[in-house]
Amino acid sequence: MTSGPGRPRRLRLRLPRGSSRADGRPRSRAFGLRTRLVFAFLLVAAVSAGATSALTYRDARNALLKTAQDTAVSSFRDQVQQTGWGLPIQREGMEEVLRDIARKGKPRPWVVFAEYGSVRASSGENPVSTVITPELRRAAHAHPNGSFERVVRDGVPYLTIAMPTLFRTGPEGRLPSGLVLYAVMRMTDEQLNVDALLLAARDGALPGLAVALIPGLLAARSVLRPVRELRKAAQSMGSGRLDTRIAVRGSDELADLARTFNETAGKLEGSVRELREAEARARRFASDVSHELRTPLAGMLAVTEVLDEDAGRLDSDTARAVRLVSTETGKLAVLVEDLMEISRFDARAAELNSDEVDLAETIGKTLQHRHWTDGRVRTELPSGIRARLDPRRFDIVIANLVGNALRHGDAPVTVSLRSETRSSGPPVLIVQVTDSGPGIRPEVLPHIFDRFYKADAARTRSAGSGLGLAITQENVRLHGGTVRAGNLPAGGAVFTVEIPLHVEEADG
Amino acid sequence: MRRARSARRTGVVAVVSAVVLLGGCGIRETDVIEAGGPATVQTFVDHDYDMLLFFHSSDGGITPVIRSVNGGVEYGPEGGPIAGFDPVTVDTVPVPTEKVILALLHGPDEQDRAAGLGTSLPPAPSGRTVRVEAAAAGDGVEADVPVAVEGLDRTALRQLICTIAYSHDADGRATVGLTGADGASASGTCGLDPTVRR
Repeated sequence: MTSGPGRPRRLRLRLPRGSSRADGRPRSRAFGLRTRLVFAFLLVAAVSAGATSALTYRDARNALLKTAQDTAVSSFRDQVQQTGWGLPIQREGMEEVLRDIARKGKPRPWVVFAEYGSVRASSGENPVSTVITPELRRAAHAHPNGSFERVVRDGVPYLTIAMPTLFRTGPEGRLPSGLVLYAVMRMTDEQLNVDALLLAARDGALPGLAVALIPGLLAARSVLRPVRELRKAAQSMGSGRLDTRIAVRGSDELADLARTFNETAGKLEGSVRELREAEARARRFASDVSHELRTPLAGMLAVTEVLDEDAGRLDSDTARAVRLVSTETGKLAVLVEDLMEISRFDARAAELNSDEVDLAETIGKTLQHRHWTDGRVRTELPSGIRARLDPRRFDIVIANLVGNALRHGDAPVTVSLRSETRSSGPPVLIVQVTDSGPGIRPEVLPHIFDRFYKADAARTRSAGSGLGLAITQENVRLHGGTVRAGNLPAGGAVFTVEIPLHVEEADG
Repeated sequence: MRRARSARRTGVVAVVSAVVLLGGCGIRETDVIEAGGPATVQTFVDHDYDMLLFFHSSDGGITPVIRSVNGGVEYGPEGGPIAGFDPVTVDTVPVPTEKVILALLHGPDEQDRAAGLGTSLPPAPSGRTVRVEAAAAGDGVEADVPVAVEGLDRTALRQLICTIAYSHDADGRATVGLTGADGASASGTCGLDPTVRR
């Protein structure tokens, strides 16, 4: 019955449940690593696609406008050079000439305005343009050069060209004639083209962005896979498999992390193994000690029995001493038995020998064997409740609880039995042992099932071994149940044992 | 805190760079941009038979007009030939500068006025002669004009100088020296030709 030292045991590491895998991790977090990686990738793609598109658009737009402007300016100059004027220029007939120039406008017809001295004329309806700016006029008068200016009026872009004119006076001489011709052209077509360019730039950038999503997802995956493996490994370690290791791939930061994880796991495994061995040694020692004590104790018990029988013939002092030795030896024997029992629990060597029993009958037998039938113990035992459990262990549970109640509480002690159906899980069997004493002090309650816990510090020697409730708890646990201690509102301690009913199970 | 601030900074940088990159969509206004030389138009000026007279326009500059010689006789104040005008020289080619000066001093005609042109010169007193001779050295020209040079403004002087220069020489590059009726003198070049670097 010694605990097997090399037997594989489940690691007794209690982890908070929340940190374990059970908290249902969402598939994709709002700002998880994947989202952030993909977002970063998309941002880079967007910036590069946007920058490329914007630069391309700007260049294309400028080229487009430059072509239109250059064409307009040079063809306007050509058209003007083909005209002839008498000086001073007469208002009459001027409009025909201007209309003629306007008709030949490239890339589109212009409206042509002429200014000479105080003469104003145009090919359109108004002799003076509202679009031509004073700056352009000033430039045309100050420098005898062609010049143009783009003007936006009411959202419509116009190209305005100023063309001062010279005439030939001699073989080389040129004189400004004082006539300045202006051409005004709406740039609506150019605007349409520029808008189309903008649209094309945008339509090019957006699919580019969509395409960038694919490498983004792939990159995120390549980063996330090692992270996922790490998480799985950490979970696996958390659930007790300390030999979990991760395959280290490559030499990046994640590989470093995996290596560190493996080293940590190795150290942890070593520490836990040492701890377990130390624990096992301690348990084995307790178990060995109890074993070694049992044989001499058996001899001592036999001797004290003989001494007890002969005590009557001894003088009173010696008889009292002999009876004391006998009582203490009996207690020592109980203690050793309890120690051995608890060692078996610690070593996980305790086994259930289940049998289907009638509970009322079993409890009755327990009370009868302990001679607790003299009215100190009352019972509320409905017949017909059957359960599959270990009769010997159940007997220990009931006996310990009732004995404890009789020792520390006051009679009468009530043992009640009932079965209850729970909304979740199997129906449970509930045994309550209630005494009529003062109850358990609140500060004692949390420790009531601890080994050798003295409820009363002053009373160093109790009648029991100090292991009774601990053994009770272990026995109940072995059945998959729980035991609770509490107080009744009217006073008096109450111990409640709940054990799931396994009547239908063929094998415990 | 720090992360939030750096994120905000990143956002600002992104917006600013986007604005800079796009540089405004569509077609935007520009300043006045010079684009090539002026246009040279036809004016049918014949140096032999036409005079170039310079009047000032409303904006303060001076502008040439073409006056045919055969029409010149009609420009007297009372319809008669003007003083100093010698009908004998009508057929002289090119038109004598003396005649051109007198035509200038006579002022703008109806057509010139219709175009908003005027003169800054005082009308020529009758009986005064005009004498023009080529300078002793170089391609200069000296002219005695029948008005007081003292007291003429810049525009008036330029009118005289340009008229005389373009009468003396088709390219108008002569240096003109003026002596007025008051004995005062002035000189200069016309400098209206943009093809000549001054």
